[in-house]
Amino acid sequence: MNVSYRQADEDMLVKASLKGDTTAFGEIVNRYRRLVARTVKGMLGDTVFAEDIGQEVFVKLYYSLPEFRGEARLSTYIQKIAVNLTLNEIKRRKRMFSLFLSKGNNEMYEYEIPDEESSDKREAKELVNKALMQLDPKFRIVVVMRMLQGYSTKETAEILKLPLGTVLSRLSRAQEQLKEILQKL
Amino acid sequence: MNPTEIKKLILKSQKTDCDTKEIARQLEAKGVSFDFSKDFNNKILSRLSDRTVSMIPESDFTRTLNTVFYRIAITGIAAIVFLMISIYLMEGSVSINSLLGMGNLYDESVLCLLTGI
Repeated sequence: MNVSYRQADEDMLVKASLKGDTTAFGEIVNRYRRLVARTVKGMLGDTVFAEDIGQEVFVKLYYSLPEFRGEARLSTYIQKIAVNLTLNEIKRRKRMFSLFLSKGNNEMYEYEIPDEESSDKREAKELVNKALMQLDPKFRIVVVMRMLQGYSTKETAEILKLPLGTVLSRLSRAQEQLKEILQKL
Repeated sequence: MNPTEIKKLILKSQKTDCDTKEIARQLEAKGVSFDFSKDFNNKILSRLSDRTVSMIPESDFTRTLNTVFYRIAITGIAAIVFLMISIYLMEGSVSINSLLGMGNLYDESVLCLLTGI
């Protein structure tokens, strides 16, 4: 049976996905892929690795859907998975690089911004990417949540499972670091 | 692109009293948008179809079986640890000979036991 889920609400999509309907899950991917891309690519850079982590987020979501009770919004649930997997990947790479290479933190990331974008847009994106990649990951995640996702401080604290005070102090430290970084760019 | 404008937006987004949604929207309009490749959805769906894990919810029977298994496993581990400690206390080591109860036997006494001479 070929069902179109374009107009379907979240609840219906989740229920259908739980029954193994991949078309419904495909619609969930379609709706939230940009949300995940902002977090993953904002944290890891516009790279092939980010694409892999993005896929991992949705695969993990698919298998953890039975645990989703609908208390929070699906977007928040997905965002939490994306944040966890991205931070784990950063930790994993840090460990790997510290074991085998003595490279600086910034060299871990390469930019692969697609050619089809106009040069103005590419430059804007590159500027943001360069600034983000020079930030410490614990500050970067707060910046990504606010600047790219548009979350409030409270929402950021909830997604990152951090006290509000911690988020505020990281925000202020990130701002100081960003001022220095942007002066050089 | 005006880099100064982008930089201003980046810094503004970190102020606690700013409208973060509006800044995110403005940045997106200026080209700071992210998405995955065109075949991203297909890649996920093919990864899902490759995995054979079923989405059938766990039945009561499976849940009970899991609980029983964990209890048996924990009891088993506790028994093994207790046995190892008692062997160590009695034999003074946990070598294979001690485990088999032959820690204090000499080769000659084994021969005597086996041959009856």
